[in-house]
Amino acid sequence: MRLELFGMARALVGSPSVDLAVPEPTTLRSLLAALAVRYPQLDGSVLDAASHAPLEPNVVLLDGRRARGLDEPVSDGDRPCLLFLPSGG
Amino acid sequence: MTTLSAGSVDAARTTSDVLYVDLGARTFERVSEHVAQAELGGASLAIALLDAEIAGPIDPLSAENALVFAPGPFAATAVPAATKHAIATVSPLTERLTDGLSSSHWSGALRRLGLAGLVIRGAASEWIALAIDRESVRFLDATELLGASPAETTKRLRTQLGDPKWRVAAIGMAGENQVRFATIDNDGRQAGRGGAGAVMGSKRLKAIALLGQGDSSLPLADPERVQKIARDLRERSLGTATAKYRVLGTGANLRVLQRMGMLPTRNFAQASFEGAERVTPERAREAPEAYLERRGGCAHCPVQCEHMYVRRAGDGKSKGKAAASEYESVWAFGPNCGVDDLDAVLDAIARCDDYGLDTISAGGAIAFAMECAERGLIDTEAFGTPLRFGNGAVLGPAIDAIARGEGAGATLALGVRAAARKIGPQAEAFALHVKGLELPGYEPRALPTYALALAVCTRGACHNRAAAYDADLRDPGNVLSDEARARAVVEAEDTAIAWDALVLCKFTRGCFDDFWTEGAALWTAVTGVQLDGPSLRAQAQRTWRRKRSINARLGWTPAEDVLPDRLSEPVADGPFAGTRIDPQRLEQQRMIYEEVRAAL
Repeated sequence: MRLELFGMARALVGSPSVDLAVPEPTTLRSLLAALAVRYPQLDGSVLDAASHAPLEPNVVLLDGRRARGLDEPVSDGDRPCLLFLPSGG
Repeated sequence: MTTLSAGSVDAARTTSDVLYVDLGARTFERVSEHVAQAELGGASLAIALLDAEIAGPIDPLSAENALVFAPGPFAATAVPAATKHAIATVSPLTERLTDGLSSSHWSGALRRLGLAGLVIRGAASEWIALAIDRESVRFLDATELLGASPAETTKRLRTQLGDPKWRVAAIGMAGENQVRFATIDNDGRQAGRGGAGAVMGSKRLKAIALLGQGDSSLPLADPERVQKIARDLRERSLGTATAKYRVLGTGANLRVLQRMGMLPTRNFAQASFEGAERVTPERAREAPEAYLERRGGCAHCPVQCEHMYVRRAGDGKSKGKAAASEYESVWAFGPNCGVDDLDAVLDAIARCDDYGLDTISAGGAIAFAMECAERGLIDTEAFGTPLRFGNGAVLGPAIDAIARGEGAGATLALGVRAAARKIGPQAEAFALHVKGLELPGYEPRALPTYALALAVCTRGACHNRAAAYDADLRDPGNVLSDEARARAVVEAEDTAIAWDALVLCKFTRGCFDDFWTEGAALWTAVTGVQLDGPSLRAQAQRTWRRKRSINARLGWTPAEDVLPDRLSEPVADGPFAGTRIDPQRLEQQRMIYEEVRAAL
């Protein structure tokens, strides 16, 4: 399943997207866990080291909407993105 | 030279001294002001001091206007990301209140002079620079500084004053020529969306040089507590909450907003830009062989968010002046002008810094001109190269003409609202502004809470006086009730006012678990004056009422709290295609907002 990456996630992985081998049907939690296994550098900076949940200000969007929770089922058609909430200052 | 009587020069927050300088009479007075004790500081105090200067509608570029500076209460202390100051004046762009923020050494110097505020009144008959130290206020001839950039002005004034420790706030050529969106620069930082630089220029005041009391920190009510809080905040400000600013800079917003379909493009005709990938500052960061990166930031700030880029020459060294790659600046000259040439965008930003121009308004004015030209309303060759979306070559000549007030540049220098009135009624439909202030780079039609915040903002279209887009971004796709939106706007406004009174950098907002309680505790530790979260919130609400009161005195009516016509048209592309702002619905939301405000 393809996961698009933005911001720190992209900088740390060094790629705009990653293809993760996860058995379908799957959940967001499994997808992020697979990401953390492949790219441990994300733990503690983009993902919580224990739960693999995105750390503020990072979020996961599914097809342009925010995921309801990590246990929400996802598929390729959801076009998941790991990005941060933009803000000005 | 006249001796400056020092009231409580060495005091910390306990100072209530405000320095009033009358440029016309060349006099000054240091006064202990009750209001300086009653207000937290920063923007709240600057606005309170301006309040006392404004009796009714005025010409913002006349001697009647006042220009007020107030340091943050934590400036020049150990508190990180807090050595900042606020500016308040009547904007020549909106003819309403505008308040701005800047940071760094000049802010610290103002605080170290023991001043809670600095109020500039009147206008000089000849160009001058002020030099203020603990002993005196000097009125220096600034004729020879005319035309110099703020950086060059700083250099020359330091030489003239004989000490590199002088800190200088200055205007560039744009301020001298009273471009309505000219800024005031200090230490390479710019403040004054809405044209505080033009106000300074109208007073024939080229620069204000300050010499603080040195490098020692100011006295604190509870030094140990302040050190503990500051240490904790410093650690948190080096954590994940600020990583995107430290590592990537705000320019990283561009890819995200493009992905979300919220990137205003070609004067808000579209919401995504096919050239976004070519113009994102992250591209420069990812290509170190092509671009030289310089990092920077404000004094006493661990975040150091500024990422400046310049293309490398053949020898690997820089090819020109590095430009700050802030999101808003890159967006204004990139997607909003349809330009996908990063080098042209960086050059445009560097020019604005040299001239002292607000990049958001400058980019907005050029995008507006591009659309005027494409519709046949103005000459497409006004700047020597085709004035059309996508032509990066026109950015430089257009900025030069705006700053110099030459040809079509003189019209654009008025801002898009006044320029549209001059060009004709057809142009007013796509003049993207609120109350005269050009829109920043977030698509309001995709962010309805933010759209309401822009409409009611006392400053005009400012994304920093109410970051209400956060409510939309955190719940995309979900529909908030109108009352929930109104409450979110009020919360965002009050939060921003409190931040701007304490003058903490908003980039550290993720470093607080409970900002109201923690911010109040920090205030108490620094000043010794008891403050809790609810009291801090009440202070913020009082400042909002003062802002509204000043604007009402200047002629504001609710009819001004509207959005530009273009936003009533449906979004053309992307996931929000077809979405529009319904003016009647917006008016209903505005009335609910007023009810929420009235109930506080």
